[in-house]
Amino acid sequence: MADVSWTNTNPKADILAQPQTNRLKFAIAGIFLFVAIGALLVNALQGTTQLFTTVGEYYAAPEKAVGRDMRISGYVLGDSISYTQIDATSSRLEFDIVDDVNYPDQRIRIIALNEPKPDLLQHQAQAIVEGRMEDGQFFANEGGLFLKCPTRYEELSTETGGTHPDGATKGAYDAETHQYTEVTD
Amino acid sequence: MLADLGYAALVISFVTAIYAVVTSTYLLLGQPSPKARQMWANSLRNSTRIIFPLVFLSCAIIVVSLLRSDFSLDYVWRVSSIEMPTYLKITALWGGQAGSLLFWNLLLAAFIAAAMSRDWRDRPELMPYVAGTLAITQLFFLYISLGVENPFARLDPVPLDGNGLNPLLRHPGMIIHPPMLYLGFTGLVIPFSFALAVLLSGQIDDSWLRLTRRWTLVGWLFLTVGLILGGRWAYDVLGWGGYWAWDPVENASFMPWLAATAFLHSVIIQEKRGMFRQWNMFLIILTYLLMIYGTFIVRSGVISSVHAFAQSGIGPRFFIFLTLMSIISFGALFYRWNDLASANQLNSFFSREAAFLTNNFVILGILFVTFFGTNYPIISELITGEQATVAQPFYERATGPLFAILIFLMGIAPLTMYYKTSIQRLGRAIAWPLLSATIITIVLFGAGMRQWAALIGVWVTTFSLIITLAEFWVASRARMRTKGESFFTALNTTISRNRRRYGGYAIHLGVLLIAFGVIGSRIYQETTQIRLFEGESTSLGRYEMTFKGVERYAGPDDLLITEATVDVFDRGELVKTIYPRTELYTRTGQPMTIPDLRTTISEDFYVLMVYWEETTANAATFRIYLNPLINWVWFGSILMTIGTFIAGWPDPRESRVVAATATRRRVTVTA
Repeated sequence: MADVSWTNTNPKADILAQPQTNRLKFAIAGIFLFVAIGALLVNALQGTTQLFTTVGEYYAAPEKAVGRDMRISGYVLGDSISYTQIDATSSRLEFDIVDDVNYPDQRIRIIALNEPKPDLLQHQAQAIVEGRMEDGQFFANEGGLFLKCPTRYEELSTETGGTHPDGATKGAYDAETHQYTEVTD
Repeated sequence: MLADLGYAALVISFVTAIYAVVTSTYLLLGQPSPKARQMWANSLRNSTRIIFPLVFLSCAIIVVSLLRSDFSLDYVWRVSSIEMPTYLKITALWGGQAGSLLFWNLLLAAFIAAAMSRDWRDRPELMPYVAGTLAITQLFFLYISLGVENPFARLDPVPLDGNGLNPLLRHPGMIIHPPMLYLGFTGLVIPFSFALAVLLSGQIDDSWLRLTRRWTLVGWLFLTVGLILGGRWAYDVLGWGGYWAWDPVENASFMPWLAATAFLHSVIIQEKRGMFRQWNMFLIILTYLLMIYGTFIVRSGVISSVHAFAQSGIGPRFFIFLTLMSIISFGALFYRWNDLASANQLNSFFSREAAFLTNNFVILGILFVTFFGTNYPIISELITGEQATVAQPFYERATGPLFAILIFLMGIAPLTMYYKTSIQRLGRAIAWPLLSATIITIVLFGAGMRQWAALIGVWVTTFSLIITLAEFWVASRARMRTKGESFFTALNTTISRNRRRYGGYAIHLGVLLIAFGVIGSRIYQETTQIRLFEGESTSLGRYEMTFKGVERYAGPDDLLITEATVDVFDRGELVKTIYPRTELYTRTGQPMTIPDLRTTISEDFYVLMVYWEETTANAATFRIYLNPLINWVWFGSILMTIGTFIAGWPDPRESRVVAATATRRRVTVTA
């Protein structure tokens, strides 16, 4: 008859039988990781935050903008857009943004040097610009020009194009001058 | 008439979803007789399956309306126009808010119908609760489609033509990208629903993991492909030479992807050792909530413009649903916390369990940083009263070290063993890869590579790459020796015998290729902007380009194309003529700047024509990028996709285990 004395020879059993003191060690390691991630976060925040403001908010407290990196949001006035190629390597793109295109009195001039003109830079497009305020004009950082991405499903206004029956503005293309202008029905 | 039918189908599906939720609640809280329970459960199952054909009918009617240019529907007017090509008219189904939400509903309904048909017999006692939790999500999205973003809303009088799809969205990447993300999001609802059903019903065991593993992989795969296609679209269409900008909308998809990635890893430990039960429940709940939160961010505009929140009809409803689901899920998790406790615990820092847990913490660290950055406008306003945002360098600085640790762990984890790995054994296993990676890094340093971030990145990525490749090589070589097989036969057998493991390693290889691509293209990208007259040249890196001239011609539809001809020279030799161009949609005045590029395995020479002065002797301004290793990002992505297919491919042995478990369970229930 076979020997049926059940001696546990499984090495895993010893490991499993270890005292439960590991819990403390892992808790300390977890806290260490947590603190490390917190430290990374705080370190990364240094110099990378930007005051987020609209045109109206800027005019309400312009002193807040002094010397600060900012991100300003507003709607583009189409007739203010101008792009000038100064020489072979320098260009200047300018346009005005407002909070409401129907009340364009309070506006901020955006100046972007050596930046291409974004495809979405059009009348009424929402622009978000990173940069700094200098002498009443907002100078965009390099690569700091963002026009609202179409994936955000912005609601089309009936005034932004198409042939809506309510009588909308729409674009007209002049084949001779290769210019696009907006016209109102 | 047709639109009325589509709307009616949507209303019926909404009512059916309500029925499903109510029936499921009754089965959970009521005490019907076994016979009545069976009857109600079958009815519940059928109700969840009938939603798919109903929503399909609604979607089909929208597509028919798009094809017929039926501008009496507001949605058709917004996203379509008469002259749009047929394929764009079909894909315009998801080209706007209302249609894409309806499409979301369709995909969710399809997943639900598939899960109810496929998994019912495996866990008949759990499935009524799964059906109920799935129906809650479906109900919410149907409510949004019916109550807030109705795709069947009418216009009167009927316009003669529509707006047409935004030209930026007329790109193959953008046509496929949204459905991929939606499939990812909706696919991940399935494992969440199983998890919540387990928590609510108290039928706690680990079998739901095996049932949902493939659903999770499918959801994760679609989310991965969706993210990649979004990046590719940005690279091809947005014209800034990049593919990832840590934009809130990008982060909205990235965060659930991170949570799902952590979940996919830690469930392995639960399956092998029965540990991390509470943690895995937390992760799948987090994935689901981040998915809802991501949809909320993208569609409400709450982050890009906080002021728009109050004006948005969709935002507050999403917020309420998110809060409700958070309370239900975390409440259920808290209630079952002790039932989920595992008898096993971590034995050693040098164990696979510990490596996976650390991996999870690091992934959640990246997730936390992304969440913090995305929500910083809200956080800063709460704390300082000032709205502030964080710029891209914030994300790069905070996540860079975490990604490095993650990649390092990707190398270490396969070398560890369950329970405990001796330090000596681990040391021996990593010695050669560590030494090789160090030598390669030193050589690159000697060759002029000085960016410390790039050096560390290359070091950890090479280290993990060597170990991962060795995993394939060592196993295949053993078969070559013992069985006398050729390398490819041995490799094929090795992979097919443990698809899950080697599929996972293939995904890791893809991630490592992407890591090299990111290091090259982010740290070593070169760019310049210059005006050239006809016949003039400029150079960037080892490339030189000569501007030959501009041609202007009418394209299809209302397009006016302005196309530059540019010769590209590599070390003096003409290698390609490229045609960067602008396309102007004359009817709407929307321009599109289309880059053209010389692409090789080592880099892309990427050229945009950003300005053209016809009146001044045909001068054009070009923005030029040199993107080293960018194609490694795309190759790595393809490898990740292949790896996921390998890992998720049905395994006959596994099917037998599931069938046997189900049979045992039925026998037990009958007994």
